[in-house]
Order: sequence, then structure tokens, then C-alpha cells
Amino acid sequence: MSLRVKQIIIAVLGVAFLVSLIFVQWLEVVRRQTEAGIRPHEIAVPDTSKQCVDCHMDLTPGLIDHWKGSTHAEKGIGCVECHEANEGDADAFSHYGQLIATVVTPLDCSKCHEEEAKEFAASHHARGGEILASLDNYLAETVEGCGRHYEPVSATPGRADFGKVNGMASVNVGCKQCHGSLVALQTTDGELVTYKDLQPDEDGIPTNKEILSKIAVDKEQSRPMYDASSWPNTGIGRLNLDGSRGSCSACHSRHDFSPRRARQPENCGKCHLGPDHPQKEIFEESKHGIAYRDLKEHMNLDGDTWVLGKDYTQAPTCATCHMSGHTRNDGKITHDPGERISWTNRPPISRVMDTDEKGDAIKETNAELRRELIKDTWQNKRQRMMDVCTHCHTKSYVTKFYEQYDDFIHNYNEKFAKPGQMIMDALAKHKLRTSVKFDDEIEWTWFYLWHHEGRRARHGASMMAPDYAHWHGMYEVAERFYIEFIPQARELCEIGHEEGKAAGAEEVEALIEKILDREEHKWFMSGRKPHGGEGDHSEEPDDDGEEDEAGDSDTTAGSTEGESTEGGESDESDETGDEDDAGESEEDDGESTEDGDETDESEEDETEEDDSDEPASE
Amino acid sequence: MSRLKQWWAERVPVDGEQLKALTNEPVPNHLKSWWFCLGGTPAYLFVVQIITGILLAFYYQAAPGAAYESVEYITNQVAFGWYIRSIHKWAATLMIAAVILHQIRVYFTGAYRRPREVNWVIGMGLLLVTLMIGFTGYCLVFEQLSFWGAQVGANIAEATPVIGGPIKHLILGGESYNERTLSRFYVMHAMILPGTLILLLVLHIALIRLHGVTEFQFGNEDPEKPQTFNFFPDHVLSELSLGLVLMVVLSALATLWPADMGLKADPLTTPDVIKPEWFFYVSFRWLKWFPLTGAVLSSGLIVFSMIVWPWIDSFLRRVTKIEEISVYIGIVATCLLIGLTVLEAVVAH
Repeated sequence: MSLRVKQIIIAVLGVAFLVSLIFVQWLEVVRRQTEAGIRPHEIAVPDTSKQCVDCHMDLTPGLIDHWKGSTHAEKGIGCVECHEANEGDADAFSHYGQLIATVVTPLDCSKCHEEEAKEFAASHHARGGEILASLDNYLAETVEGCGRHYEPVSATPGRADFGKVNGMASVNVGCKQCHGSLVALQTTDGELVTYKDLQPDEDGIPTNKEILSKIAVDKEQSRPMYDASSWPNTGIGRLNLDGSRGSCSACHSRHDFSPRRARQPENCGKCHLGPDHPQKEIFEESKHGIAYRDLKEHMNLDGDTWVLGKDYTQAPTCATCHMSGHTRNDGKITHDPGERISWTNRPPISRVMDTDEKGDAIKETNAELRRELIKDTWQNKRQRMMDVCTHCHTKSYVTKFYEQYDDFIHNYNEKFAKPGQMIMDALAKHKLRTSVKFDDEIEWTWFYLWHHEGRRARHGASMMAPDYAHWHGMYEVAERFYIEFIPQARELCEIGHEEGKAAGAEEVEALIEKILDREEHKWFMSGRKPHGGEGDHSEEPDDDGEEDEAGDSDTTAGSTEGESTEGGESDESDETGDEDDAGESEEDDGESTEDGDETDESEEDETEEDDSDEPASE
Repeated sequence: MSRLKQWWAERVPVDGEQLKALTNEPVPNHLKSWWFCLGGTPAYLFVVQIITGILLAFYYQAAPGAAYESVEYITNQVAFGWYIRSIHKWAATLMIAAVILHQIRVYFTGAYRRPREVNWVIGMGLLLVTLMIGFTGYCLVFEQLSFWGAQVGANIAEATPVIGGPIKHLILGGESYNERTLSRFYVMHAMILPGTLILLLVLHIALIRLHGVTEFQFGNEDPEKPQTFNFFPDHVLSELSLGLVLMVVLSALATLWPADMGLKADPLTTPDVIKPEWFFYVSFRWLKWFPLTGAVLSSGLIVFSMIVWPWIDSFLRRVTKIEEISVYIGIVATCLLIGLTVLEAVVAH
């Protein structure tokens, strides 16, 4: 073999080697850029989903684009992997050769995300859909709408298609969109089928097979028809046809399921905002929110991991405090926000979060019985939250905050919540207000007091937003209580006298006087004659010049660093509205450090849990 | 001037003319071809590595709590730190590539044959030391793959029968990666291995000079013209030109694709995909094809065969009577090298 031939061999092999080297280096550069987020991830469309992607690129290009940006796409999780249905599923239909269902439930997600699904299922978020029989739901269904379709007053010009009015519209578009709907399929005979009818087994397959044949399908694709009252809906406590609860895409928006988005407060803010639970606004007011707004770009929101103390430290978001991992718990995320909350501020009277097997706050007042029921204590929950706080704050700082916070809750409970509840229960007991919800002005007043202003105050305290704690909170609670609630209660007593319910009216009046005679309320009566004196049922004119402006309230919510309250706690339904709609548990760590504070809890009336019309005993 | 020369000659008694005659050895004409510069290329790049390495060593700290941060400091804070680091990184790649190409050239031209077998062995030593320098160098950055690559490498070494445990212990300075491992890698990378390489290089060049460069003829040479050319200034200028070209290439690479910072090493988080540096892709892929001990032993056998190849080649030629049998084996081996490298690069696991 001549030297020339060898030269050619060397040249060919050398060039091949160099080209391979260049290729390898290019791959390495691409890998680095992808890791750094400069280059979008390569995606892998699995064979089963190729047809879906091709077709939907034309039909719904945005949907496919979102999916392409997801980790699912990177890992080769396509359409069918999530939408695949089982034979026998109520909402399954054949779509171009694949058996799929439109709605993807936590049961579907748990195929890959088992741990997360389990944690979520144990959380109050998952029970958000249990609002359905609660007071809030009554408001939306009955007060704002109607529990059924009803006749319109007159026709709507231009909408000849409008027939009867859907009285559930407010619920469908309002409450259910956050709390979750009861997913329903239409039947051929005009009825609806839900999981209650399907009675699914643990794999989500209906055991009541007879009803499957009644499910209506559309003409074009033989697709089971969801009822508009229940879908589209990604409420966090959605009651799905397969028996599972929740919707993972409530927080992990489809179809990119972006962790970056889930880490940001705006994500939670879809539901956790507004006059009755303004967590988003409170966060924005707080120093946490200010820091977040300023330093967001440095918070590694795109990171593969997002561990406080390791991947970022600049500021917390909702996820940071309530769910995300940190260096003290080995970076473990929880999908049960309730694990770190020790006060539930959702009910009229806040309760500590000693929780039972089901994760419900224990109402039992007997100490021994209570101990037996407790599965997880409020102290444990608080400690978990403190483990987060102490990444940035010293222990003494955090502890002192909790003292301020506990004091605030305690003050709210004792000064307004318990007395208010007692008065409401007494009015109901003596039939001085009707059993129909919200037909008495005082019900609205009470509702505003604890459900809106009271919650704002408590949330503001928990998450260090002084304005919400005070001006939007306790100030309004106080005004509502003294200027509206008490006069309205007295008025009902007067009416009671007139209607021959004197005994009951006198009892309620005595209760009111007893409350106002307490030290914390004495100021209110200090310039007036005692109300309800013999023969005197009139309002006392006021103003002897002794009242000062309640200008500076220094003592309102001492919010410093606190806990965002979340949790979507779905409480038992409660016709008085004493327990509110499921879906929110504002739970703060309320470390009751004051003496005797603990015992106060046992003195709480059961009235806080009262079911509407039943007389409350004190 | 002549007084100055006289002053110098008295104090440094080296005769310039004698020196010139000693070093200006005639260089065979074939060395004018580009493919014969592949020996000088890694030597030149080694000099680049020493210079840039010293500059980096001013800032680098070999402790787990500081290594990554010091590299980050070099990359982001030190004036031209990113440039020096990138040159160092790319010169490492080019140096290893040049060594491999040089070896391919020597192999296919049979320049390892008698009486140059020992120099081939020294050359193999240079290859292995160069690979080790590359390996230890990347471990120093303390990125995720630095840590896990070292961990995996040590585990593979442990699979060597009998001596595996001690080898692992030698590499890591303990049973597992610990706070002293990084300083061990640093000493190896910055002192022991470069020192060894310099020694081997001196021996390598000395043997070349003693044996003389293997002369190759393409068969079309004009017998009337000289068959050699001068080392000074011709060959030296060629080498310098090559050096300048390499500097331009290195500079371009460093600027276009500068070295960046990956994720910091986290012993608690195993990356989805662990791969060594590209020059170990071939052996990494080989190891994945066989059970570990078998893979380690076979790899060792292959390396041993490469070291003693001159004698194997001689034996095979004698037995098979195929004079160029080494060429055919070499083609297969090189294709395997390229194929396994690319395969490992493309496939995640």
C-alpha cells in the first residue's frame, strides 16, 4: 500500500473524526443552552399522539404550541398519554382511532404523579367542590339566581334562542369556576349523570353500568355531552366522573403545565382574591409582595428545582410558604397547603388547626376527647411554616410575629365573632329571624362582618398587610358590628315584642346588654342610657360629645411576617352560614402564647358551627 | 556591540554556530505536509494549557464549598477570565483531538515499527496522561457532571478485579467522594499529570531525535532535489504559523462558544443523564454494552493491546503474511471509535 493511499485513509478518517467531534461539541453546546433555558427543549412527539398533534396544529394551534413548551413534550408525554380513557369510562369516546376523554382528572395525572395526587387528595383544595350545599352556594344559587330555570320577565331583543332563565348561571360562572363543579353528562331523557349516579370504583370505572346507555352523545363525533353547568371547569375541587376530586390544571394550567406559573402568586390569585379572601391583594401590599415584584427576575422561576434557600432566597410567593420545598425539609414539596397552617380563618370564629384523620379542624371542646381525635397538631403545622420563615427571619422575629397574630385572632374572636354568633344563634332560637337565609337584613350584615371584613382582617394579619388588617379589616368589622349589627338585632327584638315573642326578645336583649356590658364593649354604651330598659324600645339618641374619633388604632392587627392563609378548606355545609363555603381555609399559625388563651377555645360556643335554625345553647 | 558579544560569550560559553549546527538537523521533506504537524500541535496546545492554567490557578480554589464559586468568579468577574477559561477549555479539546489524530497518523504510516516501538509506548503513555488531565480538569469545575462523572468514573475503576478498591480509594481519597477529593484532583491535574507529561514528552522528542524522523516517500519525489529541508528557519516557521492558526481558532471558539456555568454539584440530586467528557464517550458506551467487570477488563485489554501494538502488529504480519493488516484493523478500530463516540453523544442513556 503506497504512502499516498495511506495518506488518503488518514485524511478520510481524520476528517471523519473531526466532523464527529464538531457534532459532539455542538450537541454539548445545545445541551448547555437548553439547561440554561436559552434554547427551548427538544420535544418528542410519541407515535400515539402524532395524529393528534398534526390535526390540532390546524384546529387549535395555541393548544399545541403550549404543549410543545411543556416538560411533558420534552419527555414524550403526548395527548393520548393524558386523555386516554378506559373501556367503560362514562365520558370515553372514540376519536380517530383512540379512546379518549376530554376531561383529565387527578386520577389520570396520578398515573405518573402518584405522590402529588395523593397529597392533593388529602388537602382542602380537593374538597373545594363541597361548597355545593353551603351558605355561599345558597347565595349564588338562590339569592343571586334561582335553583332552577325560571320564566323571564320579557324577551331579549335579538336573542330569540333565549328560553327560560338558567337560575344557576351565577354559580356556574362564579363559585364553581374556583371551587369546582359537579361534572355532569347529559342523558337522552334530559337528566344529568354525575359520579353519584355512576358510582365509580377505585379505578374510576362506573359500577352502575345501566346508566351508561342513557348518556347522550353528539351527532358528529359520538362524544358524551357535558352539561354546561359543569364544564368547562377547572375548579380546584371539581367532582369528577371517575370519583376523583380536583383539577390539577387549576394550578398547573394546561397545556404547558408550567411550574414557573405555578410558583407565581398571580396563579393562586385567580381564586384567592376579592373582598372575602383578598390573599393576592394582601400579598401585594406586604413586604413579601414588594420584594417579589422587585426581585422576581432573580428568583430562578424557570429552575428545574425551586428550593428555598438553595435555588432562590429573594422573596417568598404563595407557593414558597404553603407548598414548596426548602432546605430544611430536603426540598420536599407538598400539595396539601393545609400542612403548614395552624389557624383556620375561614369560619366565623377562627379555630386552631388540630386536625383529625380526614384533615378537618377538630371542633371537640373536651380536652381528652380532643386529644384522641388529633392526628396532626396546630403546633406541628406552625413549626412547618416557621421552618420556611426562618430562612429569612430570625426565630425571635417569627415568634414575636406569631404573638401579634395570635393576639389579633383572639381579639377578633372574642370581641366580635363569638358575640355576633351568639346573637345570631339567639335570634334564630327564638324565631326572631326567619329560617330563610338572607331574607333578613341582619343576615347580610353578619355575613359581611365575618365572611368579608372579618376574613380580610384575619388574612391581613396573617400575611402582614396592615391596611387589610385594620382599615379594610377590623375597622369595618367594628363599624359593622356597632353601627349595623347591634341596631339591627335590637330592631328584631322590638319586632319580636310587637309580634308576641316578648320572652324570646327579652332574652336576646339581655344577651346583647350582657355583651355590651363587657369591658371591651363598655365604651359603646358609655355615652348612652342602657338600651332595652323597661318600656323603652327606642333607639337612644347619642352624642354627648364623649366619643372620640377612632382615629388611631394602633392596636389593630399587628401583622409583621405572617402566614398566608390558604387551604381551600371545605367545611361541612352549614345553613346559617356560620361555616362558610368550602374552599377556603385561611389558616394561619396562631401560636397562642397568652395564658388562658387555650382555655378560651373550650369556652367557644358550639354556635360557631351552628346549623341555621337550631337554637344555639351558650 | 562586539564588546557586548564578548562579554556574553565569556559568561555563557555557548557557541551559537555550534548550537545551530546541532539543532538544525535536516528535516525530511514529507514533514512539509500538513498531516505531519499533528505531533507539534498537541505540544503547542500543551504550552497554551500551561500558561492559561497558571492564570486560572491564581483564582481557583480546590474546596467543595469554593470551587464552583471560584470558577464562577473567574468566568463572570475577573477581567478576561471568561476568555482565559474558554481558551483553556477549548485547547483541552483540541489537544486531545490532536493527540488522537497524531496517533492515527503514526499508526497508519507504521511509524511505530522497529526500532521505534518504545517511542510508541511512550506515545501511548502521553495519550493516557492527556486523557487523565482532561478528566481531572473537568472534575475541578464542580458542576453536576463534574461530581457525578468523578463518582461514576471511580465506581467503574472499582470494578477492576483485585485492585479496583485501592484504585478508587486513590482517585477519591476515600471510599466515596469527600471534601478532600477535589484537592486530590487539583494536585493531579496541575502538578502530577503535567509533570509526567513533560517527562514523557521530553523522552518522546529525544527518541525521535535519536532515531531520526521516519522517512516517507510518496514515490514521485525528484531525486535531483534535496530530500530534506532545514529545521531552522523553515520548520520552525511552519510550526509557528501553525501555532498562530491555532491561536486564531482557539480565540474564535472561545469567543463564539465560551465556557459557561452549569448547575453546581449537588450530591443529593442525581442528574437524569450522566455522561463523561466527549473523549470518554467511546469507553462509556462500551461499558454500557457489557456487564461492568467484563467491560472494565475488556477495556483494559484493549488499552493494553494498543500499548503493545508494535509487537502484535509484527506478530500478525508474520502469521498472516498480510503486510498492511494493521491498516485494515486500524480502519475498523477508528470507525468503531467514531461510531461509539457519536452514538453516546446522541443517545441519552
